[in-house]
Amino acid sequence: MTTLEARELVKDFHVRVGLRRVRLRAVDNVSFTLTPGRTVALVGESGSGKSTIARMIARLEKPSAGAITLTGPDGAKVPERAYRDNVQMVFQDPFASLNPFHTIEHHLARPLKLHGRAHGWEDVVQLLERVSLPGRDIAGRRPHELSGGQRQRVAIARALAPGAKVVVADEPVSMLDVSIRLGVLNLMARLQREENLAVLYITHDLATARHFSDDILVLYKGRVVERGPADEVILNPQHPYTKILASAAPNPEARGRAVEIDPADVERAGASAAYDHNTGAWEEVAK
Amino acid sequence: MRYYARKFGFYLVALWAALTLNFFIPRLLPGNPVDILMAKLSQRGGTVDPSARRAYELLLGTDSSESLFQQYISYLGNMFRGDLGVSVSAFPAPVSEVIAGALPWTLMLVGIATFLSFAFGIVLGTFVGWRRGTWLDGLVPATTVLAAVPYFWLALLLVALLSSAWGWFPLQGGYDILLTPGWNGEFISSAIYYGTLPALTIVISSVGGWLLGMRNMMVSATSEDYVLTAQAKGLRGSRIMIRYAARNAVLPSVAGFAISLGFVVSGAVITEQVFSYPGIGSKLLQAVQNNDYALMQGVFLVITVAVLGANLVVDLLYAVIDPRTRVSG
Amino acid sequence: MTNISAVTVEPPRGRAGWRSMLPRWSPKLGVGLVLIALITFIGVIGPLLVGDPNTIRDISLTPPSGDFWLGTTWTGQDVVAQLAHATRGSLYIGLMVGVMATFLSALFGIVGAYVGGYVDEGFNLFSNVMLVIPGLPLVIVISAFVPADQRGMWTIAVVLAITGWAASARVLRAQTLSLRNRDYVAAARVSGEKSWRVITVEILPNLLPLLASQFVFSVIYAILSEAGLSFLGLGASNSSTLGTMLYYAQNSFALQRQAWWWFVPPGMIIALFGCGLALINFSIDEIINPKLRDIPRRVKAAVTRKPEPAPRTDDDVVLTVNDLSVVYQVENPVHAVKDVSITLRRGEILGLAGESGCGKTTLAYAINRLHRPPAEVTTGSVTFHDREGGDVDVLALTPGELRAFRWSKLSMVFQGAMNALNPVITVRAQLDDVLTTHRPEMTKAQRKAKCEEVLKLVGVDVRRLSSFPHELSGGMRQRVMIAMALLLDPQVMIMDEPTTALDVVVQRGILREILRLRDEIGFAVLFITHDLPLLLELADRIAVMKDGEVVEYGAAQDMFEQPAHPYTRQLLDSFPSLTGERGSFVRSGEQLTPVDRSGEPTPSGGVR
Repeated sequence: MTTLEARELVKDFHVRVGLRRVRLRAVDNVSFTLTPGRTVALVGESGSGKSTIARMIARLEKPSAGAITLTGPDGAKVPERAYRDNVQMVFQDPFASLNPFHTIEHHLARPLKLHGRAHGWEDVVQLLERVSLPGRDIAGRRPHELSGGQRQRVAIARALAPGAKVVVADEPVSMLDVSIRLGVLNLMARLQREENLAVLYITHDLATARHFSDDILVLYKGRVVERGPADEVILNPQHPYTKILASAAPNPEARGRAVEIDPADVERAGASAAYDHNTGAWEEVAK
Repeated sequence: MRYYARKFGFYLVALWAALTLNFFIPRLLPGNPVDILMAKLSQRGGTVDPSARRAYELLLGTDSSESLFQQYISYLGNMFRGDLGVSVSAFPAPVSEVIAGALPWTLMLVGIATFLSFAFGIVLGTFVGWRRGTWLDGLVPATTVLAAVPYFWLALLLVALLSSAWGWFPLQGGYDILLTPGWNGEFISSAIYYGTLPALTIVISSVGGWLLGMRNMMVSATSEDYVLTAQAKGLRGSRIMIRYAARNAVLPSVAGFAISLGFVVSGAVITEQVFSYPGIGSKLLQAVQNNDYALMQGVFLVITVAVLGANLVVDLLYAVIDPRTRVSG
Repeated sequence: MTNISAVTVEPPRGRAGWRSMLPRWSPKLGVGLVLIALITFIGVIGPLLVGDPNTIRDISLTPPSGDFWLGTTWTGQDVVAQLAHATRGSLYIGLMVGVMATFLSALFGIVGAYVGGYVDEGFNLFSNVMLVIPGLPLVIVISAFVPADQRGMWTIAVVLAITGWAASARVLRAQTLSLRNRDYVAAARVSGEKSWRVITVEILPNLLPLLASQFVFSVIYAILSEAGLSFLGLGASNSSTLGTMLYYAQNSFALQRQAWWWFVPPGMIIALFGCGLALINFSIDEIINPKLRDIPRRVKAAVTRKPEPAPRTDDDVVLTVNDLSVVYQVENPVHAVKDVSITLRRGEILGLAGESGCGKTTLAYAINRLHRPPAEVTTGSVTFHDREGGDVDVLALTPGELRAFRWSKLSMVFQGAMNALNPVITVRAQLDDVLTTHRPEMTKAQRKAKCEEVLKLVGVDVRRLSSFPHELSGGMRQRVMIAMALLLDPQVMIMDEPTTALDVVVQRGILREILRLRDEIGFAVLFITHDLPLLLELADRIAVMKDGEVVEYGAAQDMFEQPAHPYTRQLLDSFPSLTGERGSFVRSGEQLTPVDRSGEPTPSGGVR
């Protein structure tokens, strides 16, 4: 039972405005736990800090404060050097996340080898078949010879190659054509079942967040404004910002409705206290 | 504002680096230039007073009685006072005077030639890039031959053809030596007449680089969305070409000016030598041939300062034509 | 999305791996390779075939003849023999400097950029300082200080390399900075690759074309500089290069003595070698920037416009597209739009839905004749029915008429969040030039008033007129695009993914604006998007496109209630409902039955 706990994560970026250095808080006090077999969705608009959180979990950025702890099945903390055996990431753009120079085999054989697993041709083929790709046919090809959906499957296979137990999926389908999105999400759901993976699903799309995940955290400007079980958060939103997000999503059943959204409303909504469906309580803005 | 501050800061650093390089080169390389200089000076019957020797030692670094750092400080002090030592080849004229006499010639020649070549290259490149897929594409490979021709070789051929054989232009020099230099029409037209061939050499060999760079950027710019928008707006082709495509495509050429200017200046030095043009390029070579180290270093410094100045001007101009630099810095 | 040529005919996205590092064959490349091979042959094999270049004979300056193909020098030496040895010397210098300078530029450019932080800033400052200090004067000064007897080939090569690497380092740094932010580099780091491996295995191969082109530049630079130095008598002592040959020729007054055969060939070899390398560089540039590739020559297909402009059937219709086909005339012509017929009624919003590559953007551009070669309209007609009466056969307009038609009758809104606004001129200038072109009779004050009026219409502060596009947010830029489209009070507006790159809340604001303006002003909208649920909510009628054909075309309400075509159903199923059931989405513990239609692929690779 490999569990990842993110506690009070903070990430500050320093940008220079004029001659002064200004601190920009991208992530502000975010905590959550990823447990095997469950999916947590981080939902937010651009600039909400969701991708920064993903990058911190994948150890591509260092948190400014807070801790990310990984606990192994034996209940002991997983040592730093084994962190990447356990935590892997699927990137947003499958056209950018595979190196155009290398074959598919290279993309999978390397992580297999780095993490001390078998890494022959057969293992690569097997891995590709796990993500429903014709392994023998595909392993020798290069990324540009594959479609977007196929590439994203390869990217998922790569994340599984080290035997990861925690997978961070950063908008894994937003760059794909709509008709293949569900296929990729269903694949991830199946792998999660089979491997008992803990998944962090990052998206701006409330609908897939609701159906794909167990818990949802809604982010606004780096802060969690609402959290709770997926259906609760979406069907019974408490926080004004979540309500605005839900009403802004396209809804064919509501033809001709008038949704006037004033940016100032969003600003005001985002600033209010956070709601936790698990405790049923409003939490004061931590400061 | 930040952009300007950063640019000024950078050029200060570059200037300091050039001065420092100038200080260390003679100290790090083999040979004993001060003794050679002193020997030359006494040959010419100059009285070698101790202060002259010390100035050379500071410049060229053979005196070991002082620490390197003290020498460096004194050297920088001399430089800021404009004291570049005394020229051996033009004894007893100070280096600064020799350079002051030659500098205007080079500034005019190289300045005008570079401007013309830049302007031609940009205009031609704009057309060739805009009319891609027509016969104009054939111009592109042709210019590469010109760009790869050694300056001096081209200059000598032009002299052989246009001056010796056909007699259209004078063989060498910067003006008719029968005239006395001055700001009068006769002298200026003579200077222009004498300067045409050197300038032509510089323009011919450097225009290809600008043309190619501009053409490639035009090709990229024409496939940008804003050009499509302009077409959808029903604007005239010429307006789209100039205000939308070329206006954006010229930015990298301006930003890359520094790279090309270095090449042009290098070529100009040799071109001046071929034409015995009275500029600082000729002075540099005169200094080299006479072991006139003080003059040599002085010329190097002045060329560097001029190039830095030109680049600074171009960088400031860039900020005017690209609004994005003004904010993001 | 708005880049038409990228939609359907993008040839396989460039070859990858080693093959992609090889330039495409072209006549330019062929000529370049022949030149290089020839000159390399002269330099490498030539010295073995000719006699001693230094043999002095008493035949001074003989013109070319059977014995001496290129004549003799002042001292009666064979010019051909000298040329062969001199070419070897110059190639040697070029190669040495090329290798050293490329190494230095890779060190300072690539490593600095990858490591980042202060190392990068330091390396970059150093490169830039080296760049602005003029090279040749520095080389001359250095050479002059080194006594002639200590000035060997290596000294010259090292000095040239030190003064010649900086420009390449700058180019490599820029490219590395962009590569290191690519996701595949991040992915390699996440898989646990060490830094040196990320640089050498993941980044370096993708820099190879650039390194090659920088190497070629260094070689040209070195050969030219060395020739200049030697010509000035500052070259390596006892060396024999094309530069020293020219030095001797000039000092013996070869040209003044009409001995062109002594002076011209060495320069020609330098020029041709440089030209050959430059031609090869063209091909390398085309790998780095595929846009530079030669446009395939157009196969002039006979345009058969059978259907004449559609007659006005009913005053309610503003635009009729009849049997329109668009073909990309490449080697294997691609039918991007196949026999599409749609009509747009006054004041309606017609949605055009489909996935990438379905031809929806190509269709939209062809309506306004904005498609670029190699795309060509092969059949069909586009007819605009003016509300003032009179029909316009858009495909038959002359260039001048077309310019006048565009924007005044039919305007377009592109994905303004991206690059549809010119980044270097102000919003005012971009609005203004529509008016100066189409309404030359308007005064400056009238134009200003009109620009302010349309900005107010879309809810943008008029002070934004003097802003540049980069100073506006994505949503604001899109509003400016719409304002621009309103300037001439057009009857049709084509909107290409106008809200795609925006956040949902901003998107909602823009959509409200479009609906409100449509209601107030009454233009018709052709709304192109991949987002079918959005269209179902917004549009009056919808056309669904797949592989260049319209597969379903009808009222939005009907399509939502009873989608007829299987592809429409598949698209609809692909968007899980926010509040409703899951559709074909499967979660933990459920079984996989309803998935076949859109979900799990068959191992034969049935997924797109």
